[in-house]
Amino acid sequence: MQIYLPIAELPVSILTILAMGAAVGFLSGMFGIGGGFLMTPLLIFLGIPPAVAVGTQATQIVASSVTGALAHLARDSIDFKMGGVLLGGGMLGSLSGIYIFKLLTNIGQIDLTISVVYVLFLSVIGAMMMVESVQAIRAARGGATPKKRSGHHSWIHGLPLKMRFRRSKLYISVIPPILIGYFVGTLSAIMGVGGGFILIPAMIYILRMPTNVVIGTSFFQIVFVAALTAVMHAVENQAVDIVLAFLLVIGGVVGAQYGVRAAEKLPAEQLRALLAALLLLIGLRLGYELISPPEDLYSITEVQVMK
Amino acid sequence: MRWGAALSLFLLVCAVTTSARADQLVTDLSEYQIAIRSNFTGTQILLFGAVEARTPGSRAINRDVIVVVQGPVRPMTVRKKEPVGGIWVNHDSVTYPSVPGYYAIASTRPLEVTAPHETLKALRIGIENISPGTPVAESIDGTIQILPPEEETAFWKALIRNQRRDGLYFNLPGGVTFLGQTLFRATVDIPANVPVGLYTAKVYLLQEGQVIDTISSPLYIDKRGLERLIYRMAHSDPLLYGLVAVLVAAFAGWLASAIMGRR
Repeated sequence: MQIYLPIAELPVSILTILAMGAAVGFLSGMFGIGGGFLMTPLLIFLGIPPAVAVGTQATQIVASSVTGALAHLARDSIDFKMGGVLLGGGMLGSLSGIYIFKLLTNIGQIDLTISVVYVLFLSVIGAMMMVESVQAIRAARGGATPKKRSGHHSWIHGLPLKMRFRRSKLYISVIPPILIGYFVGTLSAIMGVGGGFILIPAMIYILRMPTNVVIGTSFFQIVFVAALTAVMHAVENQAVDIVLAFLLVIGGVVGAQYGVRAAEKLPAEQLRALLAALLLLIGLRLGYELISPPEDLYSITEVQVMK
Repeated sequence: MRWGAALSLFLLVCAVTTSARADQLVTDLSEYQIAIRSNFTGTQILLFGAVEARTPGSRAINRDVIVVVQGPVRPMTVRKKEPVGGIWVNHDSVTYPSVPGYYAIASTRPLEVTAPHETLKALRIGIENISPGTPVAESIDGTIQILPPEEETAFWKALIRNQRRDGLYFNLPGGVTFLGQTLFRATVDIPANVPVGLYTAKVYLLQEGQVIDTISSPLYIDKRGLERLIYRMAHSDPLLYGLVAVLVAAFAGWLASAIMGRR
């Protein structure tokens, strides 16, 4: 059954979109990720214009991160103060991301930029996760205890504007979280992702937040950054397709439930290796497209009339 | 002299009336409005008509009908990819100010045998004879450049190729069929990815390679119902639209957690 998308201006199969939403929702429930980095390339493969894919995906991320944030709220595993600081940077980042997105669309380089940024992040983070989970699996088999992270003082402690984050048991400068938030916010507006896959490692390795508050805090800030990104994409590019978003949300909600259950039956380290493999695979696929000669060297686009 | 002028005027009037008394077209479309609703997956329009023979001795031989359905014009950019450091990057671009978003041409016989090339070109009949306005070529850094004619032609050909691939430009030689001596019909596909706006369906009647009558009818393709409502709101009130989208999504997220929490 086909449905015509009013903003993307093309018909899509309802079942395909629901199935995609469910599959990505399943993975996101299983791995505890937003799934934007999977869904946005999939939508672009389907022929949805990049701006509409990114804008609509931001809306879907609002839905999935609200669910995630509420679950962590119930467990009291959100550092609101840290989340607020990250959010400050994230909001500014999202605004500049939208601006960059518009600029790149006008000069015809947005598709390339989205692909390059995806290839970079997916391969680097995929490789890092793969190495780490393989080490962890080996360590577990060998019976050795994983190395304990030393609490030594890093360069971060030399920065001014220190603030106490009680929930995270940290006393650090607000500059690194603002910068991290800004960076992830920019990426989220360009890539159509929540940015959890960058935010979470950054919070653990750079800010050294305790792991039990990391995911909840990340969800908390993603809700608001994604909401701002979606609204800005709607205002600046008229690129939010509410019909497409609705279908993706329904599929995602259903898929996520099964994903969470499936994750309970699988060992965490193998699960992480699986996610790493998935990231690398998508990264390679997108990378191959960048270097292989295109079928038609020429492409056409309708010129957006400036308001 | 005065008589000479009067005579030539008389001859001119005669010429006009005889041409007005030549064969004439009567046509109609199956639809004047195509509504794009949520179940729109493309459609077809049927154009039918008749040739009214005004001159008693006129013969139906070497008579051709060409039907051109053209969509709204808008500016379009063609970009050419070039390898930069091993990656294929959009490099040079050419922008044409008025490109029809849709162009279908159907004829009784292939266009080449219907009329001389010059006639078709002068009347801008045929995909190759679309005139897209003065092109502006830009280099990758946004500076205006002047391309050699053959390179510019490659961009124009690429635009047509892309539009053909998307099913938005096409030829239907033999797409107009005569039913007997005077009645004819043509069916033209409207694919799902058509741009919305005002279309024109133009019918040309040719005798011995010369156009003797034309008729043009408007055709509106527009979004309707919910599609229209959503599209309108997204463009006229984008802030409210964005807020509604986000609130609906947030509500869906809350609903999902409420359902999960109950289990």
